Amino acid sequence: MTTLGLDRVGAFGLFVARAATSSVQHPPPIGDVIHESWRIGWRALPILITISFFVGTNLAIQGYASFRPLGGTELLGMFVALAGVRELAPIMVAAMVAAKAGTEMASQIAVMRTKEQIDALEVMAVDPYAWLVAPRFLGIVIVLPALTVVSIFTLIGSAWLVTVYQLGENGVHFLTLVAQTTTGLDLIVCMVKAALFGVMISLVSCFFGFTSQPGPKGVGAATNAAVVVSAVACAIANYLVSQAVYG
Amino acid sequence: MSDTLSTLAALGRFGAFGARISWTTLRLGWSLREVIHHIGQLVSRCVVPVVAVVLPAGMVLALQGGTVFALFGAQRLLSSLVSVATFRELAPVLASVLVAAQGGSSIAAELGAMRIREEIDAIEVMAVDPIGLHVVPRILAAIVATPILTLIGALGGVCGGWLVATVILGEPGGLYWANLWDLTRPMDLWGGLIKSSVFGGIIGVVAAFHGFHAHGGAAGVGHAVNDTVVTAITAFIIANYLLTSALFGAGA
Repeated sequence: MTTLGLDRVGAFGLFVARAATSSVQHPPPIGDVIHESWRIGWRALPILITISFFVGTNLAIQGYASFRPLGGTELLGMFVALAGVRELAPIMVAAMVAAKAGTEMASQIAVMRTKEQIDALEVMAVDPYAWLVAPRFLGIVIVLPALTVVSIFTLIGSAWLVTVYQLGENGVHFLTLVAQTTTGLDLIVCMVKAALFGVMISLVSCFFGFTSQPGPKGVGAATNAAVVVSAVACAIANYLVSQAVYG
Repeated sequence: MSDTLSTLAALGRFGAFGARISWTTLRLGWSLREVIHHIGQLVSRCVVPVVAVVLPAGMVLALQGGTVFALFGAQRLLSSLVSVATFRELAPVLASVLVAAQGGSSIAAELGAMRIREEIDAIEVMAVDPIGLHVVPRILAAIVATPILTLIGALGGVCGGWLVATVILGEPGGLYWANLWDLTRPMDLWGGLIKSSVFGGIIGVVAAFHGFHAHGGAAGVGHAVNDTVVTAITAFIIANYLLTSALFGAGA
Protein backbone atom coordinates (compact mmCIF):
# COMPACT_ATOMS: atom_id res chain seq x y z
CA MET A 1 0.00 0.00 0.00
CA THR A 2 1.74 3.15 -1.14
CA THR A 3 1.52 6.27 0.92
CA LEU A 4 1.82 8.39 -2.24
CA GLY A 5 5.06 9.85 -0.92
CA LEU A 6 3.17 11.94 1.60
CA ASP A 7 5.52 10.74 4.31
CA ARG A 8 8.35 12.36 2.35
CA VAL A 9 6.43 15.62 2.15
CA GLY A 10 5.95 15.50 5.91
CA ALA A 11 9.62 14.72 6.43
CA PHE A 12 10.47 17.74 4.28
CA GLY A 13 8.23 19.94 6.41
CA LEU A 14 9.94 18.74 9.58
CA PHE A 15 13.33 19.30 7.95
CA VAL A 16 12.45 22.90 7.08
CA ALA A 17 11.17 23.53 10.62
CA ARG A 18 14.37 22.14 12.18
CA ALA A 19 16.58 24.07 9.77
CA ALA A 20 14.72 27.29 10.58
CA THR A 21 14.96 26.83 14.36
CA SER A 22 18.63 25.85 14.15
CA SER A 23 19.48 28.89 12.02
CA VAL A 24 17.89 31.12 14.63
CA GLN A 25 19.37 29.34 17.66
CA HIS A 26 22.89 28.90 16.25
CA PRO A 27 23.30 31.45 13.49
CA PRO A 28 26.24 30.63 11.20
CA PRO A 29 29.24 32.98 11.17
CA ILE A 30 28.98 35.62 8.44
CA GLY A 31 32.27 34.41 6.94
CA ASP A 32 30.75 31.00 6.25
CA VAL A 33 27.72 32.55 4.56
CA ILE A 34 29.86 34.77 2.34
CA HIS A 35 32.09 31.82 1.49
CA GLU A 36 29.05 29.82 0.38
CA SER A 37 27.72 32.77 -1.62
CA TRP A 38 31.06 33.10 -3.39
CA ARG A 39 31.27 29.37 -4.04
CA ILE A 40 27.79 29.09 -5.49
CA GLY A 41 27.82 32.39 -7.38
CA TRP A 42 31.35 32.51 -8.73
CA ARG A 43 31.40 28.90 -9.86
CA ALA A 44 28.03 29.20 -11.59
CA LEU A 45 28.92 32.47 -13.34
CA PRO A 46 30.68 31.25 -16.51
CA ILE A 47 28.01 28.68 -17.25
CA LEU A 48 25.23 31.12 -16.45
CA ILE A 49 26.67 33.70 -18.83
CA THR A 50 27.02 31.10 -21.58
CA ILE A 51 23.46 29.89 -21.19
CA SER A 52 21.95 33.38 -20.91
CA PHE A 53 23.88 34.41 -24.00
CA PHE A 54 22.44 31.64 -26.14
CA VAL A 55 18.93 31.94 -24.72
CA GLY A 56 18.99 35.63 -25.64
CA THR A 57 20.04 34.83 -29.19
CA ASN A 58 17.19 32.35 -29.55
CA LEU A 59 14.71 34.83 -28.14
CA ALA A 60 15.69 37.36 -30.81
CA ILE A 61 15.59 34.83 -33.64
CA GLN A 62 12.23 33.34 -32.68
CA GLY A 63 10.71 36.76 -32.04
CA TYR A 64 11.87 37.95 -35.44
CA ALA A 65 10.59 34.84 -37.19
CA SER A 66 7.20 35.23 -35.50
CA PHE A 67 6.79 38.94 -36.12
CA ARG A 68 8.00 39.03 -39.71
CA PRO A 69 4.79 37.67 -41.31
CA LEU A 70 2.80 40.21 -39.27
CA GLY A 71 5.15 43.06 -40.23
CA GLY A 72 5.95 43.94 -36.63
CA THR A 73 9.70 43.38 -36.56
CA GLU A 74 10.21 46.83 -35.07
CA LEU A 75 8.64 45.62 -31.84
CA LEU A 76 11.40 43.05 -31.34
CA GLY A 77 12.88 45.05 -28.47
CA MET A 78 9.57 45.00 -26.65
CA PHE A 79 9.22 41.25 -27.10
CA VAL A 80 12.74 40.51 -25.86
CA ALA A 81 12.33 42.78 -22.85
CA LEU A 82 8.96 41.34 -21.84
CA ALA A 83 9.73 37.67 -22.37
CA GLY A 84 13.38 37.81 -21.31
CA VAL A 85 13.27 39.98 -18.24
CA ARG A 86 9.93 38.90 -16.86
CA GLU A 87 10.10 35.16 -17.35
CA LEU A 88 13.14 33.67 -19.02
CA ALA A 89 15.86 35.18 -16.84
CA PRO A 90 14.50 33.85 -13.50
CA ILE A 91 13.71 30.45 -15.00
CA MET A 92 17.13 30.09 -16.66
CA VAL A 93 18.94 31.09 -13.50
CA ALA A 94 16.82 28.73 -11.42
CA ALA A 95 17.39 25.82 -13.81
CA MET A 96 21.14 26.47 -13.96
CA VAL A 97 21.61 26.91 -10.25
CA ALA A 98 19.44 23.87 -9.51
CA ALA A 99 21.57 21.89 -11.94
CA LYS A 100 24.94 23.12 -10.66
CA ALA A 101 24.69 24.29 -7.06
CA GLY A 102 21.72 22.08 -6.20
CA THR A 103 23.45 18.91 -7.34
CA GLU A 104 26.65 19.98 -5.54
CA MET A 105 24.79 20.57 -2.29
CA ALA A 106 22.85 17.33 -2.54
CA SER A 107 25.84 15.20 -3.48
CA GLN A 108 28.18 16.78 -0.89
CA ILE A 109 25.73 16.21 1.94
CA ALA A 110 24.82 12.73 0.63
CA VAL A 111 28.51 11.75 0.59
CA MET A 112 28.81 13.08 4.14
CA ARG A 113 25.85 10.91 5.09
CA THR A 114 27.50 7.89 3.43
CA LYS A 115 30.77 8.48 5.30
CA GLU A 116 28.76 8.95 8.55
CA GLN A 117 30.19 12.44 8.97
CA ILE A 118 26.77 13.88 9.85
CA ASP A 119 26.39 11.33 12.65
CA ALA A 120 29.90 12.30 13.83
CA LEU A 121 28.82 15.96 13.97
CA GLU A 122 25.80 15.03 16.07
CA VAL A 123 27.97 13.00 18.42
CA MET A 124 30.18 16.07 18.89
CA ALA A 125 27.05 18.09 19.83
CA VAL A 126 27.42 20.26 16.70
CA ASP A 127 24.04 20.98 15.15
CA PRO A 128 24.31 19.65 11.56
CA TYR A 129 21.41 21.87 10.44
CA ALA A 130 23.16 25.04 11.60
CA TRP A 131 26.52 23.85 10.32
CA LEU A 132 25.52 22.48 6.91
CA VAL A 133 22.13 23.83 5.88
CA ALA A 134 22.03 27.40 7.18
CA PRO A 135 25.17 28.75 5.40
CA ARG A 136 24.06 27.25 2.08
CA PHE A 137 20.52 28.56 2.48
CA LEU A 138 21.58 32.11 3.35
CA GLY A 139 24.39 32.12 0.79
CA ILE A 140 22.18 31.15 -2.12
CA VAL A 141 19.43 33.64 -1.19
CA ILE A 142 22.01 36.44 -1.23
CA VAL A 143 23.69 35.50 -4.49
CA LEU A 144 20.82 34.39 -6.71
CA PRO A 145 19.27 37.86 -7.33
CA ALA A 146 22.73 39.13 -8.30
CA LEU A 147 23.14 36.25 -10.75
CA THR A 148 19.74 37.08 -12.23
CA VAL A 149 20.81 40.66 -12.93
CA VAL A 150 23.93 39.38 -14.71
CA SER A 151 21.75 36.99 -16.68
CA ILE A 152 19.40 39.78 -17.78
CA PHE A 153 22.29 41.91 -19.00
CA THR A 154 23.81 39.03 -20.95
CA LEU A 155 20.47 38.04 -22.42
CA ILE A 156 19.69 41.51 -23.71
CA GLY A 157 23.27 41.96 -24.93
CA SER A 158 23.24 38.78 -26.98
CA ALA A 159 19.77 39.55 -28.34
CA TRP A 160 21.12 42.95 -29.43
CA LEU A 161 24.10 41.28 -31.13
CA VAL A 162 21.82 38.92 -33.04
CA THR A 163 19.41 41.73 -33.93
CA VAL A 164 22.13 43.93 -35.38
CA TYR A 165 24.51 41.42 -36.97
CA GLN A 166 22.37 38.45 -37.89
CA LEU A 167 18.92 39.96 -38.49
CA GLY A 168 20.01 43.37 -39.76
CA GLU A 169 17.62 45.46 -37.68
CA ASN A 170 18.27 48.83 -36.04
CA GLY A 171 20.22 48.29 -32.81
CA VAL A 172 19.51 51.68 -31.26
CA HIS A 173 15.78 51.28 -31.83
CA PHE A 174 15.98 47.84 -30.24
CA LEU A 175 17.70 49.08 -27.11
CA THR A 176 15.36 52.06 -26.81
CA LEU A 177 12.35 49.76 -26.85
CA VAL A 178 13.97 47.49 -24.28
CA ALA A 179 14.61 50.41 -21.96
CA GLN A 180 11.08 51.72 -22.43
CA THR A 181 9.36 48.38 -21.85
CA THR A 182 11.24 47.27 -18.76
CA THR A 183 9.85 48.78 -15.60
CA GLY A 184 11.40 48.90 -12.13
CA LEU A 185 8.64 46.54 -11.00
CA ASP A 186 9.79 43.95 -13.55
CA LEU A 187 13.33 44.00 -12.18
CA ILE A 188 12.24 43.87 -8.56
CA VAL A 189 9.85 40.98 -9.23
CA CYS A 190 12.66 39.21 -11.10
CA MET A 191 14.96 39.43 -8.10
CA VAL A 192 12.23 38.42 -5.65
CA LYS A 193 11.50 35.36 -7.81
CA ALA A 194 15.20 34.54 -7.83
CA ALA A 195 15.43 34.74 -4.03
CA LEU A 196 12.35 32.53 -3.73
CA PHE A 197 13.87 29.97 -6.11
CA GLY A 198 17.06 30.06 -4.03
CA VAL A 199 15.11 29.22 -0.89
CA MET A 200 13.42 26.27 -2.58
CA ILE A 201 16.53 24.92 -4.33
CA SER A 202 18.69 25.01 -1.20
CA LEU A 203 16.09 23.48 1.12
CA VAL A 204 15.12 20.73 -1.33
CA SER A 205 18.72 19.84 -2.21
CA CYS A 206 19.86 19.76 1.41
CA PHE A 207 16.83 17.67 2.33
CA PHE A 208 17.57 15.04 -0.30
CA GLY A 209 21.22 15.01 0.71
CA PHE A 210 20.37 14.57 4.39
CA THR A 211 17.91 11.75 3.81
CA SER A 212 19.90 9.88 1.18
CA GLN A 213 20.50 6.13 1.26
CA PRO A 214 24.16 5.20 1.86
CA GLY A 215 26.43 4.12 -0.97
CA PRO A 216 27.13 5.42 -4.47
CA LYS A 217 23.62 4.54 -5.63
CA GLY A 218 22.13 6.61 -2.83
CA VAL A 219 24.30 9.59 -3.74
CA GLY A 220 23.21 9.36 -7.37
CA ALA A 221 19.56 9.01 -6.43
CA ALA A 222 19.70 11.97 -4.03
CA THR A 223 21.38 14.21 -6.61
CA ASN A 224 18.86 13.16 -9.24
CA ALA A 225 15.83 13.79 -7.02
CA ALA A 226 17.20 17.15 -5.84
CA VAL A 227 17.45 18.59 -9.34
CA VAL A 228 14.08 17.33 -10.53
CA VAL A 229 12.07 18.39 -7.50
CA SER A 230 13.81 21.80 -7.42
CA ALA A 231 13.06 22.38 -11.10
CA VAL A 232 9.40 21.43 -10.76
CA ALA A 233 8.96 23.51 -7.61
CA CYS A 234 10.58 26.54 -9.29
CA ALA A 235 8.39 26.19 -12.38
CA ILE A 236 5.21 26.13 -10.31
CA ALA A 237 6.36 28.96 -8.04
CA ASN A 238 7.25 31.01 -11.13
CA TYR A 239 3.69 30.71 -12.40
CA LEU A 240 2.17 31.61 -9.04
CA VAL A 241 4.33 34.72 -8.62
CA SER A 242 3.64 35.81 -12.22
CA GLN A 243 -0.08 35.29 -11.69
CA ALA A 244 -0.01 37.31 -8.49
CA VAL A 245 1.95 40.22 -9.95
CA TYR A 246 0.84 40.36 -13.59
CA GLY A 247 -2.50 38.53 -13.52
CA MET B 1 49.74 24.66 -18.16
CA SER B 2 48.67 21.41 -16.55
CA ASP B 3 45.10 22.69 -16.63
CA THR B 4 45.31 23.06 -20.40
CA LEU B 5 46.89 19.64 -20.70
CA SER B 6 44.20 17.97 -18.60
CA THR B 7 41.47 19.70 -20.62
CA LEU B 8 43.08 18.51 -23.84
CA ALA B 9 43.40 15.03 -22.37
CA ALA B 10 39.70 15.06 -21.46
CA LEU B 11 38.79 16.20 -24.98
CA GLY B 12 40.93 13.43 -26.41
CA ARG B 13 39.26 10.87 -24.18
CA PHE B 14 35.89 12.19 -25.28
CA GLY B 15 36.88 11.88 -28.93
CA ALA B 16 38.10 8.32 -28.45
CA PHE B 17 34.92 7.47 -26.57
CA GLY B 18 32.80 8.99 -29.33
CA ALA B 19 34.66 6.97 -31.94
CA ARG B 20 34.10 3.74 -29.97
CA ILE B 21 30.38 4.50 -29.60
CA SER B 22 29.96 5.35 -33.27
CA TRP B 23 31.74 2.22 -34.45
CA THR B 24 29.79 -0.02 -32.08
CA THR B 25 26.51 1.57 -33.20
CA LEU B 26 27.30 1.17 -36.89
CA ARG B 27 28.37 -2.46 -36.67
CA LEU B 28 25.15 -3.19 -34.73
CA GLY B 29 26.92 -4.49 -31.63
CA TRP B 30 23.87 -3.66 -29.53
CA SER B 31 20.48 -5.31 -29.02
CA LEU B 32 17.17 -3.68 -29.93
CA ARG B 33 15.52 -5.21 -26.87
CA GLU B 34 17.90 -3.33 -24.58
CA VAL B 35 17.18 -0.09 -26.40
CA ILE B 36 13.42 -0.55 -26.04
CA HIS B 37 13.84 -1.41 -22.36
CA HIS B 38 15.79 1.78 -21.76
CA ILE B 39 13.32 3.88 -23.76
CA GLY B 40 10.56 2.60 -21.50
CA GLN B 41 12.57 3.37 -18.38
CA LEU B 42 13.55 6.84 -19.55
CA VAL B 43 10.04 7.85 -20.60
CA SER B 44 8.40 6.49 -17.46
CA ARG B 45 10.94 8.21 -15.21
CA CYS B 46 10.88 11.57 -16.97
CA VAL B 47 7.27 12.03 -18.06
CA VAL B 48 5.96 13.40 -14.75
CA PRO B 49 8.74 15.99 -14.26
CA VAL B 50 8.56 17.07 -17.92
CA VAL B 51 4.82 17.71 -17.78
CA ALA B 52 5.16 19.29 -14.32
CA VAL B 53 7.61 21.87 -15.73
CA VAL B 54 6.26 22.51 -19.25
CA LEU B 55 2.64 22.90 -18.12
CA PRO B 56 3.33 25.85 -15.78
CA ALA B 57 5.60 27.32 -18.47
CA GLY B 58 2.67 27.20 -20.90
CA MET B 59 0.49 28.81 -18.26
CA VAL B 60 2.98 31.65 -17.76
CA LEU B 61 3.26 32.09 -21.53
CA ALA B 62 -0.52 32.40 -21.89
CA LEU B 63 -0.70 34.76 -18.92
CA GLN B 64 1.95 37.17 -20.20
CA GLY B 65 0.89 36.85 -23.82
CA GLY B 66 -2.78 37.33 -22.97
CA THR B 67 -2.07 40.52 -21.04
CA VAL B 68 -0.10 41.98 -23.95
CA PHE B 69 -2.54 40.82 -26.64
CA ALA B 70 -5.43 42.37 -24.73
CA LEU B 71 -3.77 45.76 -25.38
CA PHE B 72 -4.01 45.14 -29.13
CA GLY B 73 -7.37 43.39 -29.04
CA ALA B 74 -5.79 40.25 -30.45
CA GLN B 75 -6.93 37.75 -27.81
CA ARG B 76 -7.99 35.41 -30.58
CA LEU B 77 -4.35 34.80 -31.47
CA LEU B 78 -3.34 33.77 -27.96
CA SER B 79 -3.59 30.02 -28.59
CA SER B 80 -1.47 30.30 -31.73
CA LEU B 81 1.20 32.15 -29.77
CA VAL B 82 1.21 29.51 -27.07
CA SER B 83 1.35 26.62 -29.51
CA VAL B 84 4.06 28.11 -31.75
CA ALA B 85 6.29 29.12 -28.84
CA THR B 86 5.73 25.79 -27.06
CA PHE B 87 6.39 23.58 -30.10
CA ARG B 88 9.39 25.57 -31.33
CA GLU B 89 11.30 26.45 -28.16
CA LEU B 90 9.65 25.90 -24.81
CA ALA B 91 8.89 22.19 -25.05
CA PRO B 92 12.19 21.04 -26.63
CA VAL B 93 14.39 23.11 -24.31
CA LEU B 94 12.51 22.56 -21.05
CA ALA B 95 11.88 18.86 -21.73
CA SER B 96 15.56 18.41 -22.56
CA VAL B 97 16.60 20.22 -19.37
CA LEU B 98 14.45 17.80 -17.40
CA VAL B 99 15.70 14.79 -19.38
CA ALA B 100 19.26 15.91 -18.67
CA ALA B 101 18.46 16.37 -15.00
CA GLN B 102 16.53 13.12 -14.57
CA GLY B 103 17.48 10.77 -17.40
CA GLY B 104 21.02 12.02 -17.93
CA SER B 105 21.80 11.89 -14.24
CA SER B 106 20.36 8.38 -13.91
CA ILE B 107 22.42 7.19 -16.91
CA ALA B 108 25.55 8.74 -15.40
CA ALA B 109 24.74 7.36 -11.93
CA GLU B 110 24.07 3.83 -13.25
CA LEU B 111 27.22 3.68 -15.36
CA GLY B 112 29.25 5.40 -12.64
CA ALA B 113 28.08 2.93 -9.99
CA MET B 114 28.95 0.07 -12.38
CA ARG B 115 32.41 1.54 -12.90
CA ILE B 116 32.97 2.04 -9.15
CA ARG B 117 31.86 -1.53 -8.35
CA GLU B 118 34.29 -2.74 -11.09
CA GLU B 119 31.36 -4.33 -12.92
CA ILE B 120 32.54 -2.86 -16.24
CA ASP B 121 36.00 -4.37 -15.77
CA ALA B 122 34.38 -7.72 -14.96
CA ILE B 123 32.36 -7.57 -18.18
CA GLU B 124 35.47 -6.74 -20.20
CA VAL B 125 37.28 -9.71 -18.62
CA MET B 126 34.43 -11.93 -19.87
CA ALA B 127 35.08 -10.61 -23.43
CA VAL B 128 31.71 -8.82 -23.57
CA ASP B 129 31.84 -5.29 -24.97
CA PRO B 130 30.56 -2.93 -22.23
CA ILE B 131 30.00 -0.19 -24.82
CA GLY B 132 27.66 -2.34 -26.86
CA LEU B 133 25.94 -3.86 -23.84
CA HIS B 134 25.43 -0.80 -21.62
CA VAL B 135 26.41 2.46 -23.29
CA VAL B 136 25.02 2.40 -26.84
CA PRO B 137 21.49 1.22 -25.88
CA ARG B 138 21.19 4.07 -23.38
CA ILE B 139 22.33 6.66 -25.90
CA LEU B 140 19.97 5.38 -28.60
CA ALA B 141 17.16 5.30 -26.04
CA ALA B 142 17.84 8.96 -25.16
CA ILE B 143 17.71 9.91 -28.86
CA VAL B 144 14.28 8.27 -29.23
CA ALA B 145 12.79 9.07 -25.83
CA THR B 146 13.48 12.81 -25.77
CA PRO B 147 11.22 13.65 -28.74
CA ILE B 148 8.50 11.48 -27.21
CA LEU B 149 8.79 13.38 -23.95
CA THR B 150 8.88 16.70 -25.83
CA LEU B 151 5.64 15.80 -27.57
CA ILE B 152 3.97 14.92 -24.28
CA GLY B 153 5.37 18.08 -22.72
CA ALA B 154 4.14 20.20 -25.64
CA LEU B 155 0.66 18.78 -25.14
CA GLY B 156 0.92 19.70 -21.48
CA GLY B 157 2.10 23.22 -22.32
CA VAL B 158 -0.79 23.85 -24.71
CA CYS B 159 -3.26 22.54 -22.12
CA GLY B 160 -1.68 24.82 -19.54
CA GLY B 161 -2.26 27.72 -21.87
CA TRP B 162 -5.89 26.63 -22.24
CA LEU B 163 -6.27 26.55 -18.43
CA VAL B 164 -5.08 30.12 -18.08
CA ALA B 165 -7.00 31.37 -21.11
CA THR B 166 -10.31 29.96 -19.92
CA VAL B 167 -10.12 30.18 -16.14
CA ILE B 168 -8.00 33.30 -15.59
CA LEU B 169 -8.50 35.36 -18.74
CA GLY B 170 -12.09 34.32 -19.33
CA GLU B 171 -11.73 33.36 -22.98
CA PRO B 172 -14.22 30.83 -24.35
CA GLY B 173 -12.57 27.40 -24.55
CA GLY B 174 -13.78 26.78 -28.08
CA LEU B 175 -12.10 29.99 -29.26
CA TYR B 176 -8.80 28.74 -27.87
CA TRP B 177 -8.88 25.34 -29.56
CA ALA B 178 -10.36 26.63 -32.82
CA ASN B 179 -7.58 29.13 -33.39
CA LEU B 180 -4.75 26.87 -32.27
CA TRP B 181 -3.65 25.95 -35.80
CA ASP B 182 -4.18 29.41 -37.33
CA LEU B 183 -0.57 30.50 -37.32
CA THR B 184 1.03 27.15 -36.51
CA ARG B 185 2.90 25.32 -39.25
CA PRO B 186 3.71 21.58 -39.24
CA MET B 187 7.38 22.55 -39.43
CA ASP B 188 7.07 24.15 -36.00
CA LEU B 189 6.30 20.80 -34.44
CA TRP B 190 8.71 18.80 -36.61
CA GLY B 191 11.50 21.31 -36.01
CA GLY B 192 10.95 21.02 -32.28
CA LEU B 193 11.07 17.23 -32.42
CA ILE B 194 14.26 17.23 -34.53
CA LYS B 195 15.84 19.61 -32.04
CA SER B 196 14.92 17.42 -29.08
CA SER B 197 16.28 14.34 -30.84
CA VAL B 198 19.65 16.07 -31.23
CA PHE B 199 19.48 17.24 -27.62
CA GLY B 200 18.73 13.69 -26.52
CA GLY B 201 21.81 12.47 -28.35
CA ILE B 202 23.94 15.13 -26.67
CA ILE B 203 22.55 14.24 -23.24
CA GLY B 204 23.09 10.51 -23.79
CA VAL B 205 26.68 10.87 -24.97
CA VAL B 206 27.69 13.33 -22.24
CA ALA B 207 26.01 11.25 -19.51
CA ALA B 208 27.56 8.01 -20.76
CA PHE B 209 31.01 9.63 -20.98
CA HIS B 210 30.95 11.01 -17.45
CA GLY B 211 29.47 7.85 -15.97
CA PHE B 212 31.82 5.51 -17.82
CA HIS B 213 34.89 7.43 -16.66
CA ALA B 214 33.81 8.01 -13.06
CA HIS B 215 36.49 7.45 -10.41
CA GLY B 216 36.93 7.99 -6.70
CA GLY B 217 34.21 6.03 -4.96
CA ALA B 218 30.77 7.33 -4.09
CA ALA B 219 31.92 10.95 -4.32
CA GLY B 220 33.08 10.20 -7.86
CA VAL B 221 29.56 9.19 -8.82
CA GLY B 222 28.27 12.45 -7.37
CA HIS B 223 30.83 14.41 -9.42
CA ALA B 224 29.92 12.46 -12.55
CA VAL B 225 26.24 13.25 -12.13
CA ASN B 226 26.93 16.90 -11.36
CA ASP B 227 29.23 17.36 -14.36
CA THR B 228 26.81 15.54 -16.63
CA VAL B 229 23.85 17.77 -15.89
CA VAL B 230 25.81 21.00 -16.24
CA THR B 231 27.78 20.02 -19.36
CA ALA B 232 24.76 18.52 -21.12
CA ILE B 233 22.56 21.57 -20.52
CA THR B 234 25.28 24.00 -21.64
CA ALA B 235 26.04 21.93 -24.74
CA PHE B 236 22.48 21.67 -25.95
CA ILE B 237 21.68 25.32 -25.25
CA ILE B 238 24.53 26.19 -27.61
CA ALA B 239 23.32 23.57 -30.10
CA ASN B 240 19.83 25.06 -29.74
CA TYR B 241 21.04 28.37 -31.12
CA LEU B 242 22.64 26.68 -34.15
CA LEU B 243 19.62 24.47 -34.82
CA THR B 244 17.14 27.33 -34.42
CA SER B 245 19.09 29.47 -36.87
CA ALA B 246 19.14 26.58 -39.32
CA LEU B 247 15.56 25.38 -38.91
CA PHE B 248 13.57 28.52 -38.29
CA GLY B 249 15.67 30.78 -40.45
CA ALA B 250 16.98 34.15 -39.53
CA GLY B 251 18.26 37.07 -41.50
CA ALA B 252 17.52 38.05 -45.08
